[in-house]
Amino acid sequence: MRLNLKKIFLALLVLAGFFSVVQSWLSTLNLNQGGAAIDAWEARLMPAKKALPIKRGVIGYVGEWDAPGISYAYWDQESEYLLAQYSLAPLILKKGAVEEWNVAVLSEPAFAAWQKANQGKFEIIPLKHNVYLFHRLANP
Amino acid sequence: MILTIFFFFLIPILNGSLIAHLLWPERKGSALLLKFSLGIGMGLGINSILYFLALNIAPKQINVLAVEVVLFVTLGIIVFLRERNQKWERRRFLSLSRIQWGLIIVGLIASAMLVLIFVDQSIAQPQAGIDAWSIWNRAARFISRDPENWRATLSPDLYWHDHADYPLLVPLNVAWGWQMIGSENVRVPMMVGAFFVLASIGMMFATVALTRTIGQASLATLVLMGTPLFVWAGAGQVADVPVMYFIFASSALMFLALTQQNSAFLILSGFMAGLAGWTKNEGLLLIVACVVALIVVNLKELFRSLKFFLAGLAIPLTMILYFKSIAPPSDLFTGSSALVQILDISRYWMIFGALGRQLLTFGYWPFSIFIGLAFYALLMQIHWETYFDKGLQAMASTILLQSLGYFLIFLLTPHELIWQLNTSLYRLILQLYPSELFLFFSVVSEPEKVFKPT
Repeated sequence: MRLNLKKIFLALLVLAGFFSVVQSWLSTLNLNQGGAAIDAWEARLMPAKKALPIKRGVIGYVGEWDAPGISYAYWDQESEYLLAQYSLAPLILKKGAVEEWNVAVLSEPAFAAWQKANQGKFEIIPLKHNVYLFHRLANP
Repeated sequence: MILTIFFFFLIPILNGSLIAHLLWPERKGSALLLKFSLGIGMGLGINSILYFLALNIAPKQINVLAVEVVLFVTLGIIVFLRERNQKWERRRFLSLSRIQWGLIIVGLIASAMLVLIFVDQSIAQPQAGIDAWSIWNRAARFISRDPENWRATLSPDLYWHDHADYPLLVPLNVAWGWQMIGSENVRVPMMVGAFFVLASIGMMFATVALTRTIGQASLATLVLMGTPLFVWAGAGQVADVPVMYFIFASSALMFLALTQQNSAFLILSGFMAGLAGWTKNEGLLLIVACVVALIVVNLKELFRSLKFFLAGLAIPLTMILYFKSIAPPSDLFTGSSALVQILDISRYWMIFGALGRQLLTFGYWPFSIFIGLAFYALLMQIHWETYFDKGLQAMASTILLQSLGYFLIFLLTPHELIWQLNTSLYRLILQLYPSELFLFFSVVSEPEKVFKPT
């Protein structure tokens, strides 16, 4: 009796392991986890990378969190910041327009709000798809 | 392209396997599989160390591949000279029982499906998960795009989530692979991830087959492969799978060293523990856990065992110490009010609560694998005499100490505890999972006994 029970339990463990593999295989068929989104983000930042006169060192990163009065989704902004760092490596990105050269990804209202708050402090180089370069002016 | 990448990495892997063979000249089939599985981790570890040295001494001027080829030729000649007069045992696969064949076939079908899962997942998410691109492949880009200024990847100006303090075994291999093929092809980090998944599977089968039976080895491997998180994390290119592999390798080798009284295993165990620390910060905890486990379990022969373990540990530990001297401090040890957090009982409840939930849901099994295995052990019987086995005691102590270390990290983390638990507890459990499975299948009765003809 006990031996049969052991055989049944052993068979159950084997079946569970096997069907778990089958199940996870089925769940990965036709899976789309947004891999193209990262490539698109990299392509979006490529003009900024080319336009920047420095190829190593620290630059600033301006996101919607830097635009006064603009509401934003924290994790979206956080992910965009990390993606920008990944795309622009080996440049080091610090939050805010804190360096001589700064890259910005801002929606139109966010850009307007940021520009209003930083009038005359930066030379603004607009690129495509809401990407900008902000160059700090020596004597604003 | 995939084959080109594979062949570049094959040389370091063969070097690792040859070193393992020189230290442990056993010729059984399962021993050879174990040496190849160890060779993957050792080879990639050595490759990363060589590349790290090249970056520090003369970036872009030292050809690491040439060094690897010279090493391969040298090791190949030594092994050839030693092996030419040796008699190799002929494996008799036909002597396997029906239950063993059955389990092996199920395991082989499952492993073929695992390859498909890995490929599907990699196609769906070529840049892998957020940790892969923001931490590991980001560091690899810093190194491969500007080797002369590679230290920028350790800049304290990097955002904390980029984890500039994380060790470099995985990024160095990815950067080296990119350098070899001349482009930042996503297949390089995919292949590095695949190597560690395959090596973990091979090592599980080989270690259990060496110490128990083929049937038990097939079952242990099937349970590991049946854990969806294992392959998803591997394809997700997070370093938890490589560090999991090194933790398993180091503790299993310590087990073999103490059960077979073979010092070569202790050297390999020390080396693997060092590579764990060279892969991820949790590996540093493993080094301490292994040393303490050796002290506790093997007190009578402490000097001898520590001597061999530390001999293996020496090279990777030197790299780690140098790396840590130039890397910024970990975000886990900045600005936390330790005493207040230790005295906060609610944190303990939160950690135990999350642990309880993980025990029920770990690995994306359709049921609790831990409870399932507990029932299985109750029914199949446990060999209690193994309780006195030094090897098992050392492995159990290592797992326990490592778990204790993780618990302390959660207790002291300066980040929001719920966030930290949600984002990392399942990965920390995964890191210890193969070692736990090995321990479990070392003490539970094997399938061959159940189907033994009466």
